[in-house]
Amino acid sequence: MEGSFWQTLLGALDAFFVGVVRFLPGLLAAFLILVVGLVIGWLVRVTARRALVVAKFDRFCDSSGASQVLSRADVRAAPSSLAAALLFWLVFLSFLMAGLSALHIEVISRLISEFFLYLPRILAALAILFVGFLLANFLARAALLAAVNAGVPSPRAISLVVKFLITILSFAMALEQLEIAKTIVLAAFVIAFGAVMFGLALAFGLGGRDVARRVLERHLRDTDERPAKDDISHI
Amino acid sequence: MDESFLSEEVRRQIAEIGEADIVVGIPSFNNARTIGQVVRAVQAGFAKYFPNERTLIVNSDGGSTDGTQEVVQTATAPDYHTILAPHPVRGVHRIVTPYHGVPGKGSALRTVFAVAHAVAARACAVVDSDLRSITPEWLDLLLSPVFHQGFDFVAPLYHRHKYDGTITNSIVYPLTRALYGKRVRQPIGGDFGFSGRLAGHFLEHHVWHSDVARFGIDIWMTTTAITGGYGVCQSFLGAKIHDVKDPGVDLSAMLMQVVSSVFALIEDHHAVWREVRGSQAVPLFGFEYAVGLEPMRVDVSRMVGIFAAGARDLAPIWEQVLAADTFASVGELAAAGVTDFRFPVELWVRVVYDFAAAFHAKVINREHLLRSLTPLYLGRTASFVNENEEAGSAEVEAAIEALCLEFERCKPYLVERWDTA
Repeated sequence: MEGSFWQTLLGALDAFFVGVVRFLPGLLAAFLILVVGLVIGWLVRVTARRALVVAKFDRFCDSSGASQVLSRADVRAAPSSLAAALLFWLVFLSFLMAGLSALHIEVISRLISEFFLYLPRILAALAILFVGFLLANFLARAALLAAVNAGVPSPRAISLVVKFLITILSFAMALEQLEIAKTIVLAAFVIAFGAVMFGLALAFGLGGRDVARRVLERHLRDTDERPAKDDISHI
Repeated sequence: MDESFLSEEVRRQIAEIGEADIVVGIPSFNNARTIGQVVRAVQAGFAKYFPNERTLIVNSDGGSTDGTQEVVQTATAPDYHTILAPHPVRGVHRIVTPYHGVPGKGSALRTVFAVAHAVAARACAVVDSDLRSITPEWLDLLLSPVFHQGFDFVAPLYHRHKYDGTITNSIVYPLTRALYGKRVRQPIGGDFGFSGRLAGHFLEHHVWHSDVARFGIDIWMTTTAITGGYGVCQSFLGAKIHDVKDPGVDLSAMLMQVVSSVFALIEDHHAVWREVRGSQAVPLFGFEYAVGLEPMRVDVSRMVGIFAAGARDLAPIWEQVLAADTFASVGELAAAGVTDFRFPVELWVRVVYDFAAAFHAKVINREHLLRSLTPLYLGRTASFVNENEEAGSAEVEAAIEALCLEFERCKPYLVERWDTA
């Protein structure tokens, strides 16, 4: 009996050591892959940063409004640094996943493949949000300029409404990409968007009824009869 | 020189005509109401002032649907006896053709340039198709400086109400004069004379898919003639009265188109203008006269209101564009009342130069940048109206001259802002 205890114990220890010996190369390979990933990621980051600086990427982001979007999100880093950092993390994550695969642990392998399947949705959602913010800022500014130049009252309110609507739309589209509470998000968006549109229609239809009638009458009349505010010819 | 954009029919007509001494181009789009009179005026001008020359009228049309081309084809000759003109020795040829390319006056004139080059014309002119005040004398004034005096480019000079042409008076003329050194009073007048040689030079440029083809052709022609070292002069044509088709034209869009054309040319010619110092007068032809003009209704309070709204709501944009002290000074103006509102000349010049530098640096989207100029322009116009309410034409012209001198004096400021942009 004592003999079988020691045999079992030795057998278990032996199996453990065999397992460790089998696991160690994989662990070493994973570590090496990680190190290589770090080095390559760093090289990609440095190269990308230099290339973007030469291509005046930061200036392009300033003029397109992307820098303003980032600064509103309290992101102080230059757009070229951010883009280079993003590339670093993409490269490093890819090597990290490859390194974890080298361990040949089934649960980890399954998690990795699910992560890679979900990654495009994350990237698409981020892209939708970013483009949505840019578009919201651009169109809000266009609305503000048009309203100010036309002498329309409350131009900032008009600009804010435009920005709000496009931002809400972007968030809803991003959440749909991430497949987070799809039904709830869709219902909330439809209700919110519809409520805003209905409110605007009521405000202009009832509150601005007389104004709308005067505007329509003026447009339907012959253009020669349209009263000009100025006789001045600017050109 | 690529003339392949001319249609087969036009090339056949050019081959039939052979050569012509004088070409007059009339760009058009739905101008059936007025173009007949313009064609008759041109024919009368040919008979009175160029009776022995080979003449050609080119109507370059943008696809009119109101019968404009048919009006040109069938326009009858004037009664030469009534207008005291000899019966022309030669007939007046006509080419009526739709133009090809980007819709706009620039594409229409490209066709005129190409025809003029193909027939080896010595002198050419272009006149607008909606003119109501054109007379046969205009042909003499636009063509004779080229045909008889050897000039290459004739800019128009119109007699205008003191409040008219404020975009020209406060931006285009002072800028063109300060940058390129020639005092062409109305660089975007719309009716020009030019030599066949200059027409050929125009065709050598590859601008026909840009905004030049759409709306920037007038200032482009003037600037190209000046910077190309061609002989430039101007002719007094009297009053310019258009057929009023759409009085509700958006000022912001118009200002954006004009100023974007001017600023784009500043970019193209930056190596030229930075070396120019001061300005020179250009020869003036024609008998200058003044006529009394009816009082004009101007809504100054609306202009001041839009300026104040801009100072309040567009401050984040202006802050990116204007230098810090310029921005601060502009902000202080909004406190003034309507009748007391003044936009100092020195401040206006710095605003225009800051916008030019911001356009070059692409600080924000260019269309948004130029649309944000509208409240500032209206503020300057309101100030101009207030300052010159009791002034006559001579005093107003002196005020514009003072503005131009300020643009010239502050030119080093533009060079500095441009280089740091």
